[in-house]
Amino acid sequence: MFDYLEKQLPKLIMAPTAIAMLVCMYGFIGWTAVLSFTKSRMLPQWDFVGWQQYERLFANPRWHVALDNLLVFTLLFIIIALLLGLMLAILLDRNIRNDGALRTIYLYPMAVSFIVTGTAWKWILNPGLGIEKMVRDLGFTDFEFRWLVDPDMAIYTIVIAAVWQSSGFVMAMFLAGLRGVDDSLIKAAQIDGASTFRTYWHVILPVMRPVFFGAVVILSHIAIKSFDLVQSLTGGGPGYSSDLPATFMYTHAFSRAQMGLGAASAMVMLAGVMAIIVPYLYSELRGNKS
Amino acid sequence: MKSLSTSQRHYKALFITILVLFALVYLAPLYVMLTTSFKGIEEIRSGNILALPETLNVSAWTKAWSSACTGGDCYGLAPYFWNSIRIVLPAVFISTVIGALNGYVLSQWRFKGSNFLFGALLFGCFIPFQVILLPMAMLLAWLGLANTVPGLVLVHVIYGVAFTTLFFRNYYVGIPTELVRAARLDGAGFFAIFRHVFLPLSTPIIVVSVIWQFTQIWNDFLFGVVYSGPGTQPITVALNNLVNTTMGGKEYNVDMAAAVIAALPTLVVYLVAGKYFVRGLTAGAVKG
Amino acid sequence: MGSIQIQQLTKSFGDTQVLKGIDLDIKDGEFLILVGPSGCGKSTLMNSIAGLEDVSSGDILIDGVNVTDLSPKERDIAMVFQSYALYPTMSVSRNISFGLEMRKVPKAEIEKTVADVSQLLQIEHLLDRKPSALSGGQRQRVAMGRALARNPRVFLFDEPLSNLDAKLRVEMRTEIKKLHKRLSTTIVYVTHDQVEAMTLADRIAVMKDGQVQQFGTPYEIYNNPANRFVADFMGSPPMNFIECVVLDDKLVIESQGEKFELQVAHGEILRHAGLETVILGIRPEMMTEPKPHVMGALVHSLPMQIDVIEPMGPDTIAFGQWNGVEVQARLSPEAGVDAQTKGSISLQVDTSKAVLFDAFSGARLDA
Repeated sequence: MFDYLEKQLPKLIMAPTAIAMLVCMYGFIGWTAVLSFTKSRMLPQWDFVGWQQYERLFANPRWHVALDNLLVFTLLFIIIALLLGLMLAILLDRNIRNDGALRTIYLYPMAVSFIVTGTAWKWILNPGLGIEKMVRDLGFTDFEFRWLVDPDMAIYTIVIAAVWQSSGFVMAMFLAGLRGVDDSLIKAAQIDGASTFRTYWHVILPVMRPVFFGAVVILSHIAIKSFDLVQSLTGGGPGYSSDLPATFMYTHAFSRAQMGLGAASAMVMLAGVMAIIVPYLYSELRGNKS
Repeated sequence: MKSLSTSQRHYKALFITILVLFALVYLAPLYVMLTTSFKGIEEIRSGNILALPETLNVSAWTKAWSSACTGGDCYGLAPYFWNSIRIVLPAVFISTVIGALNGYVLSQWRFKGSNFLFGALLFGCFIPFQVILLPMAMLLAWLGLANTVPGLVLVHVIYGVAFTTLFFRNYYVGIPTELVRAARLDGAGFFAIFRHVFLPLSTPIIVVSVIWQFTQIWNDFLFGVVYSGPGTQPITVALNNLVNTTMGGKEYNVDMAAAVIAALPTLVVYLVAGKYFVRGLTAGAVKG
Repeated sequence: MGSIQIQQLTKSFGDTQVLKGIDLDIKDGEFLILVGPSGCGKSTLMNSIAGLEDVSSGDILIDGVNVTDLSPKERDIAMVFQSYALYPTMSVSRNISFGLEMRKVPKAEIEKTVADVSQLLQIEHLLDRKPSALSGGQRQRVAMGRALARNPRVFLFDEPLSNLDAKLRVEMRTEIKKLHKRLSTTIVYVTHDQVEAMTLADRIAVMKDGQVQQFGTPYEIYNNPANRFVADFMGSPPMNFIECVVLDDKLVIESQGEKFELQVAHGEILRHAGLETVILGIRPEMMTEPKPHVMGALVHSLPMQIDVIEPMGPDTIAFGQWNGVEVQARLSPEAGVDAQTKGSISLQVDTSKAVLFDAFSGARLDA
């Protein structure tokens, strides 16, 4: 009897986790999906209305603002973070012997909450007392920096704060990748007479492709999930000009008693994440097999 | 060590300068937070953000800690700091223990469907939590845990286990199976092998898992803001409330002091054990 | 105690059948070696005996008791692994005593056992060290000590010497043999090295593709191989296999354009078998320089052109061609030099121990 129990032990140990995953991940996703097809407002109501919530969603101007913002934010965030991270990694790689201190400095922003980041940058970008005042005090009395309260520019403040927080991580990834490049490749290029620039361009960067992809996947994942930063930096404002899908979902599901709509927006977010993750995982697994 | 040509030395100096400049830019927000927190309000309004404080005025700090208003109450951040502690410590401990046992099973005691299970877990690390927010609220209400600290602990454990399992599984896979075989022949069972063979080897990954979980949970805002109520909020929610509450004039020094208080635990952990933190990030992320 | 009967054992991993019906009867106190090329199933068989792998069908009996469904702990078997599998965080002393600890043996008895075992294996001075601070040979001894401490009914050795350098390997081989003599416990030993098999075993089971090709003493296996595979696998340098045309009860060897007739030990089989060709299996040591004191009907004189010689020290291997096939002969060093100078040699060929194989199936014709 005990022998049988012992044999089943591995399965028994994993059972709670398996059940939790089944219910709290996949089950909940299903629940949210079903809810998105109902008329639910403040409480779940199981009156099915087909795709109505999705139609309402895509007819909602605020949702379109959120989607546009997501596109702008994600593109800028990824591109700037990649370039910055890559540049820092390249500069660090060959030039500094004891780069521990510098690396620590570039990475510490990741250790703090997005709320702290948002709070700090909210102050730095404060119209009137922040950067604007500092530059004006230096003599440029006409300098204006009011992005935080400008509906057209608010989203860019989020880009700035997000890049500050996450580019260190990209740098760490690239640095690890660069350090993993086979030395003999570089030596061969040098013997072939390639300049440092060409060595990087033709030899090293192509080898780093998987790191690029990994970084893009992670950054886009961070971008799509961005909620904390928006809440603390702009609150989605002014108005809803810096709204993102995550804040849209939260506001409608919880503050505005629009559960069905909120559920629909969550499902769209999931679809977006899946569209990136699934092909990536698939190609990774296939690559590993071959 | 090759000696560098003059132009190479110029380049090197240029690169180092760029690196240092960026380091200053990265440090700037922390610098601003600290300096602002030690200034008086008039100083803030008349000076500029990069100036050093005239004197080290700690009144903002005491106010942030014990009397600032966070929405309805004005008890400062202190009670919410302790809320976060009460949430983080059990959640980190439980999710690490479960992750370790799960990782042990998935790496050494494969059974039919264990790979599938691992894949499902891995997948779960990527989902945006917006899709589970509503049903989880229902579940917590049904369990009688809505707006409670144990409720938040439960949520963090459930969604943290996917990561901790990943960490431990990837680490334990590197331990040779022959050790398990030798131990089985020696008469050790499932738990005995874990206790005597795997656990002693686990220090590095335990550190990674604990640091990662501590940072994630302490810094969390989404779960905190949805699943806590007045009195049970974690410090991130309280900070956000504090900063966005404008009762009377805006006290930027208090805001900054509060932000530093909220950031301090994870910053300290990072400075003390940072390299393990990085290892955890890149291991979990790159391995995917 | 310690006899093992393996009856009709099969083991499949998914769709692949790794053990295809193994029958072995191992006597109490015997030193049995499982030998074969990689993938033949010897390690799987060993793991099944230990209880580390479940079997698909068949039975394993130890001392007459069916242990097929018992856990490793209950079978009273100890194993020495190829990679030693020492617990990295435990001292040598604890590594040795861990099995006893798990069986709740009293502390005093454990201490005595550890002392005895470490003295026997000369590792007393290492008791407080961790495995990472030991050399390969020392780790091997600790692994053996761990098995010895358990005083089991059966010892299993899974290629224990393959990670050691050549000199150490020879030393440890002798140690293991002495140990077996001293303890008289049954040993089942896996190796891919046929020299180890020949020197250590009481009996050898030669395996290929999940089946036992032959089970017998080293002498039997060497001199009376059951099929071509066994004949080829055992012996270094390997047996020569020459396809010959059958002429009544003799075989035809063509060397340097001339044809010669060879008489073999069971020639009448050839007459009755009605085969056109047959594979002649003859070991290099049966093809030497002329030794005048050796005579008999089955001793022939055949020439061979020398392609190349390989001086091995105590003798020299000469490579040549018969019937268009490369053959090796064993010569004395002087004869070797002589043969190389002359470019050919007249070999003394003794077919008294030669064997005959079917050209297609590889089966023995004259068993």
